[in-house]
Amino acid sequence: MDLSQYAELFLAESREHLSACNQLLLEWERRPAAPEPVGGIFRAVHTVKGMAATMGYARVADLAHRMENLLDHLRRGGQPPADETLQLLFRATDALEKAVDLAVAGRERDADVAGVAAELDRAMARFAPDKARAAPEFVPPPSPPGDVGGTGRLIQVVLRPEAQIKGGRAMLIIRKAQSLGAVQGIAPSPAAFEAEEFDGRFAFRLETAHSAADIETAIRSVGDVERVMVGGDDEHVTPVESAGGRSRHIRVDLKRLDSLMDLIGELVTTRGRLNELAAERKDPAVDDVAIQVSRLSADLQAEIIQARMTPVWQVFDRFPRLVRDVARQLDKQVAFKVEGKEIELDRAILDELGDPLVHLLRNAVDHGIESPAERKKRGKKPEGEIVLAAVRERSSVAISITDDGRGIDRAQVLAKALREGLVDAHTETLSDDQLLRVLARPGFSTAAEVTSVSGRGVGIDVAMTKIRALGGSIEIRTEPGKGTSFVMRLPVTLAIVRALIAAVGTERYALPLTYVAETAEFGAIAMTTMEGREAMVLRDRVVPLVHLRHLLSVGGDAPPARRPVIVLEMGERRTGVVVDGMLGQQEIVVKGFEAPQGTLPVFSGATIMGDGVPALILDAAGLV
Amino acid sequence: MSHTVLVCDDAIFMRTMISDILAQAGFEIVGEAETGSQAVEKYRQLKPDLVTMDIVMPDMGGIDAVREIVKNDPDAKILMCSAMGQQALVVEAIQAGAKDFVVKPFQPSRVLEAVQRVLG
Repeated sequence: MDLSQYAELFLAESREHLSACNQLLLEWERRPAAPEPVGGIFRAVHTVKGMAATMGYARVADLAHRMENLLDHLRRGGQPPADETLQLLFRATDALEKAVDLAVAGRERDADVAGVAAELDRAMARFAPDKARAAPEFVPPPSPPGDVGGTGRLIQVVLRPEAQIKGGRAMLIIRKAQSLGAVQGIAPSPAAFEAEEFDGRFAFRLETAHSAADIETAIRSVGDVERVMVGGDDEHVTPVESAGGRSRHIRVDLKRLDSLMDLIGELVTTRGRLNELAAERKDPAVDDVAIQVSRLSADLQAEIIQARMTPVWQVFDRFPRLVRDVARQLDKQVAFKVEGKEIELDRAILDELGDPLVHLLRNAVDHGIESPAERKKRGKKPEGEIVLAAVRERSSVAISITDDGRGIDRAQVLAKALREGLVDAHTETLSDDQLLRVLARPGFSTAAEVTSVSGRGVGIDVAMTKIRALGGSIEIRTEPGKGTSFVMRLPVTLAIVRALIAAVGTERYALPLTYVAETAEFGAIAMTTMEGREAMVLRDRVVPLVHLRHLLSVGGDAPPARRPVIVLEMGERRTGVVVDGMLGQQEIVVKGFEAPQGTLPVFSGATIMGDGVPALILDAAGLV
Repeated sequence: MSHTVLVCDDAIFMRTMISDILAQAGFEIVGEAETGSQAVEKYRQLKPDLVTMDIVMPDMGGIDAVREIVKNDPDAKILMCSAMGQQALVVEAIQAGAKDFVVKPFQPSRVLEAVQRVLG
């Protein structure tokens, strides 16, 4: 019986429940007298247990069962939990999370749950000696039909929540099914239908020559049916739906959304071609069709992009737990706030964001926030504050991590940077920008000692590399004694961007508009030099120049004397990119790009132009 | 031709109510029974198109009556009248051969829906 097809769903749903567990544990820790958190934790663990048992993950189910025992006791007791009990539940949640991951990876044997399980049992024994002894081993739910050798189509039914006497309705459905063919492997067993607690979810196998549509019609004709799923032969029974009932959402594999995105990309490209042809034809009928196709494909594109949008809480929700753990480990007091949880980002970007944020948050707790004693000495509250905030800007999302800690000692960083030759020998102060570049040097750390939490110097360079790879930027602001703030700006979606199309030689290049500050004309503005580099003077500011022609070693005819300069801006930094000509703005579909060895690190991807010819996308971060 | 109905319930109130609901919908009430054994007897005599059957009745309960009736007429169309909390009994009645059930307090629309399903 192949259960693997349900593994992903199991993993996704278990993670949601475990994430909820962590949130609720934190809440319980803050408000130990509140009765709600323990009930929620109990239900989440209970759900994971049921799903794991259905999947045949015995260790996961067993651990969840022991947690559930303890939680059930705490829930009934109504007493605020002891700190050690809470810490045990945190550890157990972690162990359960690991066990779930390992089980799905096919390595459940590697899940080390014995230690935590024993602790849970000991805790239970302290609370209720008799119960602990009598604690029954976890009994899996009734064998699903597949395991009793049942054959035929798998039928899964959910009755309406408001249906009365659900067991009676279920029995009628079984009778109805029996009129269509042979019914086997009813789960739960018909005896369970007689219980008042029966929730109206059940499954069975039906051997019949009737079509799926006929089966569904017959079952629905019995009444009070919310959902019927008619499977093929040899499909396994799974929990029909997660607890909580009638969601209007469906889960879609991200790969599907990716391929939809690719397809719409091709459609956008084809649309461009159609528009060109329509312009040549000058036929109003063709024009009309081209306009309609444009409008429809734009709407379709917007819908698909929207479907990929995911609120940031899906990643942020695990951070309160992380910050708490790190702070505890380092004996620091930290109030952690999250703002703008509902801001949305493209799923692909959000998935990549977790790691850099973890690094920066750890840094904030470890290096930013001072110990309570040190804070008191400086006249600060003993409890430090870290704020993780997401804010939607015009065409990007800014995510900031701000602490009210000791700030970064520029003099110390400068001294070290000078020793290591990372800055010019005559540098006297570091600007925010230089500071960030120095801190982001792989291996650069000013931490006096390397703690287990961070300080290995990996934090900022990892974050910076990742953010740049996503087409974003990162900035730092820091003030000694007041705190440090990292601000990351990310495009809302990776898939489709507006870009300026520039010509150099016979090639076209795309520059994402997000980073285009303005354009100027080379040959018509004042020139100067800056640190030995050619630069132009733009409204009293010196902007260094890059000639794309030189950079890319393009030969051919000499470029026109007067030609465009595209000014790219990232944070405070600006660079002018000199090109041969400008071909206007266009929406481009970003395709992944595996740069061959030796390629200049100035391309972030490729796109296909309206005429079917590919063009490279310039990476602003690599040029500025 | 309208369908004929036998209404079985030990409470006059319930019998009246069910009869009214069904009569208003155009059914012909051909008989009433107060006990299970009466229901079995009247079914044999009247051969109604539909029976409404209370679960708890004196003398012979509704479920036993269903068994008896179905034994003689496997196609008998019996609609159980149950109350909340009678989950196990309803399941048993269906296993015995009842075709559907309604739950007290009755809503005319739900009773008629169930009747349609049974006769359909």
